[in-house]
Amino acid sequence: MATKKKNMRNTLDTQSIFELSKPGRRAARLPACDVPESSIDKLLPSEMLADGPPALPELSEPAIVRHFINLSTLNMSVDTHFYPLGSCTMKYNPKRNERAAAMPGLADLHPYQSEDTLQGMLQILFELQETLQEISGLAACSLQPAAGAHGELTALLVAAAYFGDLGERRTKVLVPDNAHGTNPASAAMAGFDSITVKTTADGFVDLDDLDAKLDDQVAVFMITNPSTLGLFEPNMRAVADKVHAGGGLIYLDGANMNAILGISRPGDFGADMQHYNPHKTFSGPHGGGGPGAGPICVTEKLAPYLPVPVVVRERSEVGGERPGNTNAVSESSASFRYRLDFDQPKTIGRVRAFFGNVGVLLRAYAYIRTHGPDGLRRISENAVLNANYLLSRVTHILPVPQGNRCMHEFVASASTLKRDKDIAAMDIAKRLLDFGYHAPTVYFPLTVPEAIMIEPTETESKETLDAFTEVLFRITEEDADLLHDAPHTTAISRPDEVRAARQPVLTYRAE
Amino acid sequence: MSPEDLLFAKTHEWVAVAEENGAKVATLGLSAFAIEALTDLVYIDLPAVGRQVEAEQPFCEVESVKAVSDIYSPVEGEVIAVNDALPDALEILGSDPYGAGWIAKIKITDEAGLSNLMDHAAYQEQCK
Amino acid sequence: MPYLYNTPEDQQAMLEAIGAESIDELFDPIPTELQLDRPLDLPPAMSEMELDRHLNTLAAKNRHAGQVVCFLGGGCYDHFVPAVVDAVASRSEFYTSYTPYQAEASQGNLQVMFEYQSMIARLTSMDVSNASLYDGASAAAEAVLMAITATRRHGKIVVAGSVHPEYRSTIATYLENLDTELVTIDAPAGVIDPDQLAAAIDDTTAAVVLQQPNFFGCIEDAHRVAQIAKEAGTLLITAFDPISLGILTRPGDYGTNIAVAEGHTLGTPMSYGGPFLGIMACDQSLVRRMPGRIAGRTVDRRGNPCYVLTMQTREQHIRREKATSNVCTNQGLFALRATIYLSQLGPQGLRETANLCLQKSRYAAQQLCANERFSLAFDAPTFKEFVVRDAENQVDRLLKSAEAEGFLAGIPLGQWYPELSDCFLVAVTEKRTKQEIDALVQSLANSSSQVPAQV
Repeated sequence: MATKKKNMRNTLDTQSIFELSKPGRRAARLPACDVPESSIDKLLPSEMLADGPPALPELSEPAIVRHFINLSTLNMSVDTHFYPLGSCTMKYNPKRNERAAAMPGLADLHPYQSEDTLQGMLQILFELQETLQEISGLAACSLQPAAGAHGELTALLVAAAYFGDLGERRTKVLVPDNAHGTNPASAAMAGFDSITVKTTADGFVDLDDLDAKLDDQVAVFMITNPSTLGLFEPNMRAVADKVHAGGGLIYLDGANMNAILGISRPGDFGADMQHYNPHKTFSGPHGGGGPGAGPICVTEKLAPYLPVPVVVRERSEVGGERPGNTNAVSESSASFRYRLDFDQPKTIGRVRAFFGNVGVLLRAYAYIRTHGPDGLRRISENAVLNANYLLSRVTHILPVPQGNRCMHEFVASASTLKRDKDIAAMDIAKRLLDFGYHAPTVYFPLTVPEAIMIEPTETESKETLDAFTEVLFRITEEDADLLHDAPHTTAISRPDEVRAARQPVLTYRAE
Repeated sequence: MSPEDLLFAKTHEWVAVAEENGAKVATLGLSAFAIEALTDLVYIDLPAVGRQVEAEQPFCEVESVKAVSDIYSPVEGEVIAVNDALPDALEILGSDPYGAGWIAKIKITDEAGLSNLMDHAAYQEQCK
Repeated sequence: MPYLYNTPEDQQAMLEAIGAESIDELFDPIPTELQLDRPLDLPPAMSEMELDRHLNTLAAKNRHAGQVVCFLGGGCYDHFVPAVVDAVASRSEFYTSYTPYQAEASQGNLQVMFEYQSMIARLTSMDVSNASLYDGASAAAEAVLMAITATRRHGKIVVAGSVHPEYRSTIATYLENLDTELVTIDAPAGVIDPDQLAAAIDDTTAAVVLQQPNFFGCIEDAHRVAQIAKEAGTLLITAFDPISLGILTRPGDYGTNIAVAEGHTLGTPMSYGGPFLGIMACDQSLVRRMPGRIAGRTVDRRGNPCYVLTMQTREQHIRREKATSNVCTNQGLFALRATIYLSQLGPQGLRETANLCLQKSRYAAQQLCANERFSLAFDAPTFKEFVVRDAENQVDRLLKSAEAEGFLAGIPLGQWYPELSDCFLVAVTEKRTKQEIDALVQSLANSSSQVPAQV
């Protein structure tokens, strides 16, 4: 049966904002001009002036608030729903981090202020560099990349510069077939040919295929470990040794760092470079798609090629920081001065303007300081415990082809259900919405048919996982037609994606 | 055209070869089997007329909502015509794959690739 | 561990269900020699109160725009952020959700994306906008890659020297491994000479990159540049200032093919330069080459209008190494902020904001240059920023002394333009009052009479 609840959607205020507009309505009132005013025509050449202002909607302030707040209620979110979206680490976003990032002394800073006026900010960023290095077991860090994929691109450009410096122009980047699409896309953007390496039925790198594809043109092997199947690569050391033997580098896609904080370090298992997704691992809110950040760590030999600037710490000169201005946890800070170092002759340059996605990095800093070394380890332990527990409950309902243990996430398959009952992964995903659960990631990785990728994260309770399991079971017992038409209780039913792609309507026009 | 009169590639293109103005020209489309498997096509990226194509290399793409498929040329040659009606009426591919649903005409400069094609019966066998 | 649920009893029950002896056993798949045999060397955990105190202590070592008067620009500006923006954007349902993979549970985000795209298209007079990129500089670099693919010209990109130096540096990094040459046209007069630009373009040139108003705040002859680009069959990429479009000609109206911008000025604070909002809009004919998410309007099974992510075959999760870019998310939260901001301002509010920037910056320039030590470096008309030349060539000392008096007075230009080492860039937004401007002028005048300035 379809649980047809009465839909409480406010349809008036969630119309297109352009339909809510009426000429002459205004929300903002600007102050009067307090300097002597000249006519615009006199100040600027007439051919550079627009005929009139752009056709933005005209609304009152209450109408704006009601429109957007009502739209917000049409979303599922971590604060309102269990959100087991595999690979995305949708964990709780601590409110203390939000408050920290909004402190005027951290948010209202201009990137070109003098270093004298930024010592607190630079100290945070320096300490975060050091912290990320320690967690990854790598020697140097750039906080500049704006997202995980941006970190991949940056690191591959670092690799290209490194090989260029050795007088080599290597052309290939190897990527396993179960990797995120960003890996091959980043390789191509950085000017490399992306070569796919097979994985075995167990979900691990096929060492024979790796051997076949390794040659002196291979610059980098990009590996996600734990993998997109939620498994730790058992041959990690062997893979790294093979790649290193040919002079190549190992890049670790750090999407799944939530499984190994304080437990295993990429630098110790052979990675030369890695990115972090602080919006996943270190609890930054996903913001409906962003912003994230993508800081990278690299080994000593790659450090000279990192983007500029990096933050460095120096002994303070006389007349610098006054002592007594500190607390227990930053007792040593008073005697140091922090500055931005641009003097890196071998740097690849910049990958963006200004320093980095600092707001996201501040949240990561606050999160790491909240946990300390033991707390970080507890995060991974509980993420892995929750995932294994959920796997143990779910596997009777939806088989998990790659075994009965996992790290922080696992990939189930609906292929049997699809064959026997015509219930596809997508149907299950859609039906879960009716029960108040965000759907897991479906149809990724591409190597598992009818894939359902589930990542509960450590910030969910056993009760939630049990309730989710019950619902999953109930759904698989339901009539297929009911599932094909799901969801039934959301603001809309399934959208016509074919129409959206065939006749794209990408901006508002009056109908 | 009847599919029995056509040649087929492993990659699901059909080909009809004819003489036009003294040159051998291959007319090419996608098999009914392929069109059905691709489901709900939303876009075709036709090649430019005049483009040189190599045998067994992709020269055109069709897209569904969440997949992109390459179309390969079985022969080496030059694109001399494309079916301009398709982008706005992709349903023709499904309704008349071997007629109005043709995709491109290629003036053949090297017909070696034709020997790798199969007849309709053999193609049917492959699709089983 | 403030964010964990599991009690020891829960853990025990879960381990039993799994059939494991201990949590450590769950990590057995990691070979022992690859496990860390010591705790991470990091400071111990802090309670919320300790964290708050710690960060307050560090924040107090910075001087922020509420304590000092900010005349800094260069791509990041102290514009006013209305309360409505913060109030709406702090809704959990917006900021703790993710990319709208499940359209049925994400109509809020999707409709906002669509409204954002619609407003950006109207703001710029461009056909289409994506749902945003990382920041202005990376958006410019993405536009360059897009132009290379679209035109199939791989030889050259011609960029005006008056484009933000960090944007040029970003473009150079993106091109480093791609065999495309980046040619820079100097702008000794504060704007480029279009004839010089025309001479640099050849039939392998994929795009011309212009900034309007440019890094020096000057208005370029964009019509002329657009005409040159068009005649050469090359694309025009314009980096614009969103606020300026309250009064200036829109990029699409003078022939821009790809318009990019730093959009933080639409409702996001300066945040030490990030995260920001990369705006990108383009001609209809280029939409399938565009990187990033795009939302589209369609109908659901009941025929009701709704929104989805569309044209996804451009993207990395489908096309992998052949994707238009590796970008996989948009800056959803800041696109939301921009959408609220533009709604709050409306056409008139944006025009008035732009006019206040123009009037106040002109007043500031006039007042400053009344002192004979200072002059405008360039004659070209400006919008909200201008370059001041210090006849005594003491820019660093001057700015330092202003800082001591509570003014972030300007950005020294010598770091990017050695020939302008006696110059600094001053930005005046609608937030600056006459009183603040007069005080800045006074402070700089005082500094010029003190020899040497107190540091």
